Amino acid sequence: MKRSEKFRQANKEAKATCVAAAAVIIFWCLAGFGLADSDITLLHTPLWVWGGCVGTWIFAVLVTLFLSEKVFKNFDLDNKEDQK
Amino acid sequence: MGNIINLLPVLLFLIGMLGISAYIQRSSQENRQKNFAKDYFIGGRTLGGFVLAMTTAATYSSVSTFVGGPGMAWVIGYGWLYMAIVQVIVIFLVLGVFGKKIALIAREIDAVTVIDVLRARYESNLLANMSALVMVAFFCSTMVAQFVGAAKLFEAVTGFSYVTGLSLFGLIVVIYTTIGGFKGVAVTDACCAIAMIVGMCILMGGMMSAGGGFDNIMQYISTKHPDMLEPLSRGKMPISLYISQWLLVGICTLALPQSVVRGISYKDTKALHRAMIIGTVVIGIMTLVATWIGVLSKGILTEGIKAYGSVDNIIPIAIVKSLSPFWAGVIIIGPIAATISTVSSLLLATSSSIVKDVYMNMKGQKGESLSNSMVKVYSLTATVILGLIVYAIAINPPTVIWQINMFAFGGLETAFFWVLIFGLFWPKANKYGAIAAMGGGVLVYCVTMAMKIKFMSLHQITLGIFFSLLLFLIGNSMGKTHDEKVLRIFFPEKFDD
Repeated sequence: MKRSEKFRQANKEAKATCVAAAAVIIFWCLAGFGLADSDITLLHTPLWVWGGCVGTWIFAVLVTLFLSEKVFKNFDLDNKEDQK
Repeated sequence: MGNIINLLPVLLFLIGMLGISAYIQRSSQENRQKNFAKDYFIGGRTLGGFVLAMTTAATYSSVSTFVGGPGMAWVIGYGWLYMAIVQVIVIFLVLGVFGKKIALIAREIDAVTVIDVLRARYESNLLANMSALVMVAFFCSTMVAQFVGAAKLFEAVTGFSYVTGLSLFGLIVVIYTTIGGFKGVAVTDACCAIAMIVGMCILMGGMMSAGGGFDNIMQYISTKHPDMLEPLSRGKMPISLYISQWLLVGICTLALPQSVVRGISYKDTKALHRAMIIGTVVIGIMTLVATWIGVLSKGILTEGIKAYGSVDNIIPIAIVKSLSPFWAGVIIIGPIAATISTVSSLLLATSSSIVKDVYMNMKGQKGESLSNSMVKVYSLTATVILGLIVYAIAINPPTVIWQINMFAFGGLETAFFWVLIFGLFWPKANKYGAIAAMGGGVLVYCVTMAMKIKFMSLHQITLGIFFSLLLFLIGNSMGKTHDEKVLRIFFPEKFDD
């Protein structure tokens, strides 16, 4: 990979990371505030706590898995190619 | 006065940290002889994914993860946990946005600190010195707050005096940071992160058994304190607080220099990818378990807040009430680990700004260069002296832990947010914009904080970040875009073909 291509890839990954963070925020709203009116409880704990807290964490882990598997690419960080 | 036997677990843990640092110092002697600053301040860029994840998470989570946060959860309930969980984004955000770009650039210009990168990008010594000043001031106040918090907890839980605790872990962290350098800090941080999680889990177990089980405690809370089960906690947890926290402990942490510098330190892209996943898992567990402990402690500390003094006393009292002195002695390792892992990173970042960013640069401008052995002497001395100063200040502590910590947190974010983002992603950003954003932003933030001026009852970080952006754009329009030489290093994609 040429140095410029690595930077292009890094820019793409940075953008994808921002989108991922926005997705987590949206999930957090929906699974927390969105479920706040539900009467369902688990272990005397309301559903929005499980969704908004535990759920947001699991969602964030899934999002990073997706990023690292599908979006992020491996390349050499040292600038060998350009020096040739 | 407590029983000395109950101190054994902490002592063993701290001695272990010293041993690890000593080992790392010995094994990196060869590299330090070649290039001391690179090995000492950035670990020779050799961190793997696991250590990178753990050191980023451990540096980020501090004594307030154990004390202030859970204490608030005792007051507010699940709303506080719901707010705290925003922190799951912090690790993948900083590593994903800056991680690769800063690693590529640092290798190109042989940077060791974040300020090295900023100096090369904006070609401004004024900006570099401002950055160093901001970092030294805020890092030192954070370190003091950390020491104070942990020493108070130590006193309350073990029965030994405040100064005994402070001297014990305070002096040891200074010694092991000084000898171990960045790699020592990173590896001990990883151990600290594990100790934190173990400590939290033991405490949670102890608390549940003291309160008659999770279900039982929750049943008590749902009948006696139903407000604790609502996200807005009947007005105690307004929407504006959620938005503030999303910015303050979520999105804006992107620019914390002590996190960004970790982007210079890792080995290869695989390590970065792994660190994002592991870091998100770990920071989530820490936040969930620690804050949940706070909610559950309502089942054990059933009186009003007046009976316990202040919010910061909740967790210490809960520990003493729910665990035997031996187990209390074991889990105290958790908050101490949280403290020393934050202090070690900040201490090293502070001494690197003073030695590398300010002193060595001044010498370099005069055309004098420091020999490797002189760099070594100055770096080690600066780290020790700074550490001792912070220790000495913490002996006679300032009052409000949480605020000081939060003041510094937002100040660092305001100073570096746009400067880093525009510097790395916007070719047209120039030094006038950066200087205006950093200087003006921090000023606006500190003044509004001190005078308690708020916009729509949002935290002052919103004003700081907004004015910093505005000043960046105004300042930027007055200057010129930097030379092609600089831009080719930072934006090679714009010069393809």
